[in-house]
Amino acid sequence: MIVCIAVVGHQNNPLYIQSFTEADDALKLHHIVHCSLDVVDERVNNPKKSGPMINETFLGLLYPTENYKVYGYLTNTKVKFILVTTDLDVRDADVRNFFRRFHSAYLDAVSNPFHVPGKKITSKTFAERVSTIVKSVSFNTAG
Amino acid sequence: MEDYPEELRTPPVTLVSIVGHPDLHATISTHLHSEQPPINTLALPDFSKISVIAKTPKEKENQLPSSYTSSGILKRDWLSKHRTRVPAVVAALFDADQLSGDPALWQQVCTDIENLKAVIKGRNIKLVVVVVVRFNSRDFITEDRMVALRKRAELDAKYVVTFIPDDASELNQSLNRLGSIFAELAVTFYRDEGRRVKMRLEKKTYASIEFNIRYCFKVAIYAEFRRDWVEALRMYEDGYHALREMIGTSTRLPPIQRLVEIKAVAEQLHFKISTLLLHGGKVVDAIKWFRQHNSCYKKVTGPPQVNFLHWEWLSRQFLVFAELLESSNATMQTTSSPPLAWEFRPAYYYQLAAQYLKEKKTCVEVALSMPDSIPETDDSSDSIVPSLYIGQYVRLLDLGDTSVMQLITDEDYTQYTLTEFQKSRDSTEIIGLLKKSYEAYTSSKSQRSASFCRLLMAKEYFTSNDHTTAKLHLDKLTTLYRQEGWVALLWEVLGYLRECSRNLNSAQDFIAYSLEMAALPLSPLAGIQKDYGPGGSPSLQQVERIHQEVFSIVLEDSDSNSGSDSGGGVKVNGEYPVHLEIDLVSPLRVVLLTSVAFHEQIVKPYAPTLITVSILSQLPCPVEIDQLEVQFNQSECNFIIVNARRREKSAITNVHPDRRVETVPVLQLFTNKWLRLTYDIKSVNSGKLECTYVIARIGSHFSICCGAESPANMTDLPLWKFEDRFEASPTKDPAIAFSGMKVTQVEEPDPQVDLKLDSVGPALVGENFMLPVTLTSKGHSVFSGELKINLVDTRGVGLLSPREAEVSSTDNLHVELLGVSGPELELESDSDSPRKFQNSFGLVSVPFLNVGDSWSCNLEIRWHRPKPIMLYVSLGYSPVSGSPKVHVHKSLQIEGKTPVVISHRLMLPFRRDPLLLSRIKRTPDSGQPASLPVNETSILVVSTTNCTEVPLRLISMSVEPDDNLKSGNQDSGQHPGQPTLLPGEEFKKVFTVKPEANITKLNMGSVCLRWRRDFDSSKEVLTKQNLPDLNVEFPPLIVSLECPPHGILGQPFTYYARVHNQTKLLQEIRFSLSDSQSFVLSGPHNDTTFVLPLSEHILSYKLVPLSSGSLQLPRVTITSVRYTAGFQPTVAASTIFVFPSKPQFQLELESGKNSGSGSG
Repeated sequence: MIVCIAVVGHQNNPLYIQSFTEADDALKLHHIVHCSLDVVDERVNNPKKSGPMINETFLGLLYPTENYKVYGYLTNTKVKFILVTTDLDVRDADVRNFFRRFHSAYLDAVSNPFHVPGKKITSKTFAERVSTIVKSVSFNTAG
Repeated sequence: MEDYPEELRTPPVTLVSIVGHPDLHATISTHLHSEQPPINTLALPDFSKISVIAKTPKEKENQLPSSYTSSGILKRDWLSKHRTRVPAVVAALFDADQLSGDPALWQQVCTDIENLKAVIKGRNIKLVVVVVVRFNSRDFITEDRMVALRKRAELDAKYVVTFIPDDASELNQSLNRLGSIFAELAVTFYRDEGRRVKMRLEKKTYASIEFNIRYCFKVAIYAEFRRDWVEALRMYEDGYHALREMIGTSTRLPPIQRLVEIKAVAEQLHFKISTLLLHGGKVVDAIKWFRQHNSCYKKVTGPPQVNFLHWEWLSRQFLVFAELLESSNATMQTTSSPPLAWEFRPAYYYQLAAQYLKEKKTCVEVALSMPDSIPETDDSSDSIVPSLYIGQYVRLLDLGDTSVMQLITDEDYTQYTLTEFQKSRDSTEIIGLLKKSYEAYTSSKSQRSASFCRLLMAKEYFTSNDHTTAKLHLDKLTTLYRQEGWVALLWEVLGYLRECSRNLNSAQDFIAYSLEMAALPLSPLAGIQKDYGPGGSPSLQQVERIHQEVFSIVLEDSDSNSGSDSGGGVKVNGEYPVHLEIDLVSPLRVVLLTSVAFHEQIVKPYAPTLITVSILSQLPCPVEIDQLEVQFNQSECNFIIVNARRREKSAITNVHPDRRVETVPVLQLFTNKWLRLTYDIKSVNSGKLECTYVIARIGSHFSICCGAESPANMTDLPLWKFEDRFEASPTKDPAIAFSGMKVTQVEEPDPQVDLKLDSVGPALVGENFMLPVTLTSKGHSVFSGELKINLVDTRGVGLLSPREAEVSSTDNLHVELLGVSGPELELESDSDSPRKFQNSFGLVSVPFLNVGDSWSCNLEIRWHRPKPIMLYVSLGYSPVSGSPKVHVHKSLQIEGKTPVVISHRLMLPFRRDPLLLSRIKRTPDSGQPASLPVNETSILVVSTTNCTEVPLRLISMSVEPDDNLKSGNQDSGQHPGQPTLLPGEEFKKVFTVKPEANITKLNMGSVCLRWRRDFDSSKEVLTKQNLPDLNVEFPPLIVSLECPPHGILGQPFTYYARVHNQTKLLQEIRFSLSDSQSFVLSGPHNDTTFVLPLSEHILSYKLVPLSSGSLQLPRVTITSVRYTAGFQPTVAASTIFVFPSKPQFQLELESGKNSGSGSG
């Protein structure tokens, strides 16, 4: 299950962060997302030498915490998407697919002429769309 | 990791034993220890001590109830026994004398060997017999003795060796031999032992699964002794898997203790596996293994009442693995240049170890809080000790002289561990772990994870009531969260900080943190969140509550100290006033942001201008300010704005009595809404007027001092800049909001002094040009006035290209500021204010002038070359003594002109022509001789023309000759009449020149012209011009024509042509005469003749004029054959005037003509 999804701006500031858990661990998820930015920074500053990885937006598994897995995605405008999931057995292709859909939702949200770049995304439509995507995605092959 | 016994932590080392000959033990053991791989030595001084390696009877086990005898997985001391007490090889050392000499001694040897064999038999320990022989007597030892010894020991020949201790090379050989034999036998021993145990495993001839694990462990250890890591790893893994099977199946012990034992063994096996993997460089495998280990046992928590045991165990797994990883990373540091993935970092494991330790701590606290967790009278747990087996605990019963171990129940065990854990200092350990993690993250530049660890650390300090340290750490955290705009995280930290300050009783910090919290941009979060710490969940209600709390504390004192205890001990009153400062980088800018804009960028002194003070607050509730003080760098402008509603509450104290006070009906700030106040303001002093601070006072003891900001360069509010909100401009006028500044420039008062530069037309080169400067005071007195004079090239100094600059540096000398003369300056010149003049710059101080006075001076400027310049004169003065200066500037362009043009001409005397050879060679175009004949008188005509627009008066003209030139007209050159030269007029003067030395280059000297302007006060100016250099030449021939000045019709006169030969050679000349119609003549017509050296040949003709008027004489042409130079007189020279009859001359006039002056 996806428990948290976040959009992080250029100054590593949260532009959109939403958790999808019943439990009161929003703060914990904030911390996880924030700490995962370290890994993103590291990946971006030390890109792997292999050629096709350079233009890759999907950063892969950032790090496994005890109960969560954190995935990252970097758009070409250097906006970061962070995904926290409780599913421990996840296929990369599924995550890629999720991020692709999320990215297009993000694009639509920031293309809104009333949206000021660099500010938080407050669009309700975006929030609804994100929660639809999150609900529709199931990483676990078991179900 | 330090908790583990030494034998577990380090790889096992082969043990051998040596018996007898104690003097050699040190040598041998040192040598063996330095072997590769090293061998440890158990040295027994004599054969009576061999019982230590004998198989000990199992006394301790006998103390236990019989059912207990075989239970347990691993014996606690098995490993250490094999490392310290059970050698693989025993070497018996005998002296050679014992063998060869006395039969009694030999008998002793035999007995010793027999005893030794009996002892080692049970353990299959290998035996080596060493015969120690002296170097000198090494041949005495007989072969049959050795054979006997071998037979007695039942050994192969190669295991009976000799040892020669008293020769260096022999000793070395002996040691090496011994070392290799030991190594070989040890490997055999451990292999045999391992094989023996393995056999049992393979045949599955063990009673229970415990033995399976134990055998696996033993085989693995034996393999480790042999350094067969692969085998060891495999066996450990087998044991580990077998153990995992036990969890559900074993029923041997009470459930809690059973699990504890299994976990303890699993921990050891896992430790061994991890160590082997990491030492083998298989980091990835080790991490995989750890992950598997972790997931295997994570769920095996055991009964809930002892879950702290699980957490403690889990935490230890992470800690140990972190330490292992750290030590292996340290050794592999050189190869791992790319940063390791997250899981490869010890920091991650430290952090989790801390996290689990915290879980344990919580569980222990819960367990302890149970009413009957620890019975009051508790002496039973004192006697509980670790048992013979790893992970088991028993009660030690003291039965007089012996003690007996007794199994314990789970309840006893739980109590025992609880009492143990109660003593432990978990907080310190957690902080220690977090600190390690923090440092590791920091060193790998993962600042956010490091911050998270720091936060956990601070929380731990907070819970252990160390508020000072907690605050220290939390304070450092805020920077990162503020900078990156993580409001929720910042909220949590600030909540802790607020609580720390409250507990530390720091009102200042408490209020600052509370205000910052209240002004945070919170995004509405669904549900009440619990884990936000003491700050509470970030909601609008909470924000408002915090806001109200702060302001109730601040305003408390004014409400006569009503004892509402909302601040929890934090008080603001006369004794402890709170003063917050908000600068450009303060996080409290969100609380109060002041923008100050002058409506005009430049203002006149004393003229009123408008200033707008705008204040913005992001606090959730309206804030009423009692008074606002606006401060400027010119303190006379400061003013106070008072809230009329709260006037009585905010008695204006410590305010300057004549300070301006404005009153507004209400002074209230609403969330995100600018409070704009516009006032007019008058500046008194010129210069910069800047608004520095705006101080808001709320209540009698609380004030916020806010650094004023200009709207033009105001930075975004921290945190709020990421919010999607409406941003109003601080002023109504968008232009001011865009470009308004908190600084305005106050101009100088208008000068009321006239500065006049009188120009008298263009300046003339050479003269000291006087330029009068007049100051007239019209409305101001002049105090400490100062004139600055500056001469600048009209081309502009700043616009010079480098090439031009080079030229102009010398150009500076073309015009020179000589000085200033004035009525009072003469007095001053030798006093303390020396006039400072450079070539183009001057500084003159002006005396005090009253209103209406005037003062003047003359600038003396001299031009050396004609050049236009710009003169800048600026006057700075103070209208009142000590007041700022007022400046007046004037400039004037002045042309520098050449006054006179001097030209000259050189002429030869009339009708006398020396032959100048250089002239023949050159084309005789120019009328002026380029060379002069030596010792001949030539004529120099100097003319001068006035090219100015003013009349000049000529004082004198003279030629200052060179030494070699004799110049006529050597008088002072004074012209008594001082002729006036009108513009454009020319003046000529004739000089005679006679070169006396025959030198090629003759300096003719220079013309000195003294003149002045045509008015009385003007000063004399000397203009000098050099005459060009000339050649002087010796003329070989001189032709002169002689005839009377005039002729009379019909009267004959004689006409001579003299040819003077100045050389010492005979000169051949040809001459011819052309006839003229006007004359009848007699004389030679055409001939060639010779002129003797240094003599003269005269051609004489008698001429009778036949007509009157200006007539052409017959022209004589003389040609020198030697020089092929012809001479023909010019028309002027061969013209004569013939009077019709004899004229009558007046002789008086003739004397005046001699001066030779004339004007043209």
